[in-house]
Amino acid sequence: MPRSSDHSRDPCPYVIFSDLGASFAMGAIGGGVWYGIKGAKNSPRGERFPGALVSLKARAPVLGGNFAVWGGLFSTFDCGMKGIRQKEDPWNSIASGFLTGGVLAARGGPKVAITSAALGGVFLAVIEGVGIVLSRAFADQNRPMMPQLPDIAPPASQ
Amino acid sequence: MSQHTTNIEEEESFAPIYANQEDFNPQDTVSSFLNTTYDPTRLHPLAGLGGGLDYLNLDDDPGVLPGTQGGLLPSRGWSDDLTYGTGLTYITGLSVGGAYGFYEGLRSSPSPAFKIRLNTVLNSMTRRGPFIGNSAGVLALMYNGINGGIGKARGNQDPLNSVAAGALTGALFKSTAGLRAAGSAGGVCAVIAGIWAFGKDAIF
Repeated sequence: MPRSSDHSRDPCPYVIFSDLGASFAMGAIGGGVWYGIKGAKNSPRGERFPGALVSLKARAPVLGGNFAVWGGLFSTFDCGMKGIRQKEDPWNSIASGFLTGGVLAARGGPKVAITSAALGGVFLAVIEGVGIVLSRAFADQNRPMMPQLPDIAPPASQ
Repeated sequence: MSQHTTNIEEEESFAPIYANQEDFNPQDTVSSFLNTTYDPTRLHPLAGLGGGLDYLNLDDDPGVLPGTQGGLLPSRGWSDDLTYGTGLTYITGLSVGGAYGFYEGLRSSPSPAFKIRLNTVLNSMTRRGPFIGNSAGVLALMYNGINGGIGKARGNQDPLNSVAAGALTGALFKSTAGLRAAGSAGGVCAVIAGIWAFGKDAIF
């Protein structure tokens, strides 16, 4: 039975920009919280708030940018795989994670790139696996029910 | 008596064409009874309905937001503005910074060897590109967030919302540099946001 395509995402070339923006937002806001708390914790007592501000102003945009690059590359490879294979599968996402990890570590040499690619692929495989398990667990709620026909006597035959 | 007529109302009856012996005419050909007023287009399920079915005139109500009418920069609401706006601004900033870094790296490379030039170019691209990209992305994120917030609070989407959002974004961005820097940055960003909002209405 073919897996139904995800209609909540926009069509493929345009979704790359949406993913870029969403990843940047997640990285920047998450990084703002994380580095704010870290900066506040690592500052002397009277200087907690300025310390938090300095830390998050320096680090949060960088984390946002890193997330954005990761998400944008992943989405590009995902759309590329969908276009080449003409199928919508979890394998597209796993291969895209593999390629993204490899490309982002390419400057370090082949061994580092392969390691990073493998980590990216495993990470995506875990995410997809959890998604499949969850959708199977909740699939019973969407089981189609046969409509109950009213009881009508069949017409008398000729 | 022949009961066969060619009236329109009688066509739906299933009486045989030659009900009586007198109807049989040896000069009749196949085309004389096959090519009657039978019109195949009347078999279409929607034939003959005219304008009576209002539910078929589906006009997707595009909504009051200016972006939903389509055009060059369509947008379905604040979430679209947030994701697509931030994404486009980030990638534009990254490309501009990357191009600047590319040019700078090509110019300042210490040796003409390809590998060294490639390394220098990549280094300067990754130094310049993310800085401009990240700053542009943060500005776009704050602007779209505040714009959406003001729009929700006011209940309507004005270009004035954009100007106010631009002012607040600039002020917030430079808020740690002092009151004067925050004020001037707020002013500059309000002007840019105003040009963007009013220009978008005028051009698109």
